[in-house]
Amino acid sequence: MDITKLEDFLDNSGIVFLSYGGMLTQDLISNMTEALEKETEKNNVSISASTNIFTIFVELSQNMMNYSKSKSDKNEEFDPKGLVLVGYNKENESYYVLSRNIVDIVDERKLSPKLNNINKMTRDEVKQQYRQLRRSGLDKHNKGAGIGFLEISKRCDNIEFKFTPINENKYQFMFQANISNKKKGE
Amino acid sequence: MENLTIDETKYTPNIVLDAQKGLIEIKGKSYPENTFEFYKPMIDWVEEYFKGHELPKTIINFEIIYFNSSSSKLFFDFFDLIEEMSNEGKYIEINWIYDKDNDSALEAGEDFKEDFEKLNFVLSEK
Repeated sequence: MDITKLEDFLDNSGIVFLSYGGMLTQDLISNMTEALEKETEKNNVSISASTNIFTIFVELSQNMMNYSKSKSDKNEEFDPKGLVLVGYNKENESYYVLSRNIVDIVDERKLSPKLNNINKMTRDEVKQQYRQLRRSGLDKHNKGAGIGFLEISKRCDNIEFKFTPINENKYQFMFQANISNKKKGE
Repeated sequence: MENLTIDETKYTPNIVLDAQKGLIEIKGKSYPENTFEFYKPMIDWVEEYFKGHELPKTIINFEIIYFNSSSSKLFFDFFDLIEEMSNEGKYIEINWIYDKDNDSALEAGEDFKEDFEKLNFVLSEK
């Protein structure tokens, strides 16, 4: 394999960090987060922006980890291969955290309206709903409070997502959060 | 009452629970794999402490650099418990300590302060 091609691709796409492969574990996630901390420090990313990058990175990675665990616990057929990466977009001077994994159609049906809804909300509305759900525990499930995507949305400028059908039961789920390196009010 | 210390790891904070000093201190990052299980010993200790082991004044220092959403929910439930204790007449002071350049940590503190208006909740810049 021509590894320089991969390196060129990563450089040109501004990708500072990439993980692709099998099942994510907590250890792997914390080691990646630590590496990410060093990376942002080296690149003089503001404390605010880097804190948001770490939070979003952890949230998305743990989402994928929990999702594949819940599938393997139920012995369901599942491809745990996931992708998570952090990149820098030179044009709009912002960082992005991107994740991609395979989800079942039932989860697409749940997630899609939820994310569409978040995208329609103003910043204040996101904040209000986050606090309301945190208080009520209405979306609580065994692994968390069901406020992960609101947490992400609170901590970035905007989110993008896409569900691409693979077959009648499965979707490829791509999610991206964009985080500018500016301080609030700038 | 025995004190309890939980050492910091890459993804969990350092926790100091000191009954003699009336001090509860949580410092570091918080994104455990199973948040509820991780914090259970702390919650149990706090519940026990306020059953008559508490000092006239209890100080809670909270210095969390970043956290995942299930920690956010857990902290909420923790402050809820503290508010209950405070309503029972216990004197408790909470310091939410944040780095002056960390807007998100400040915002998280402001939200908790607003959610628990009755608590003595101080935002303290480091």
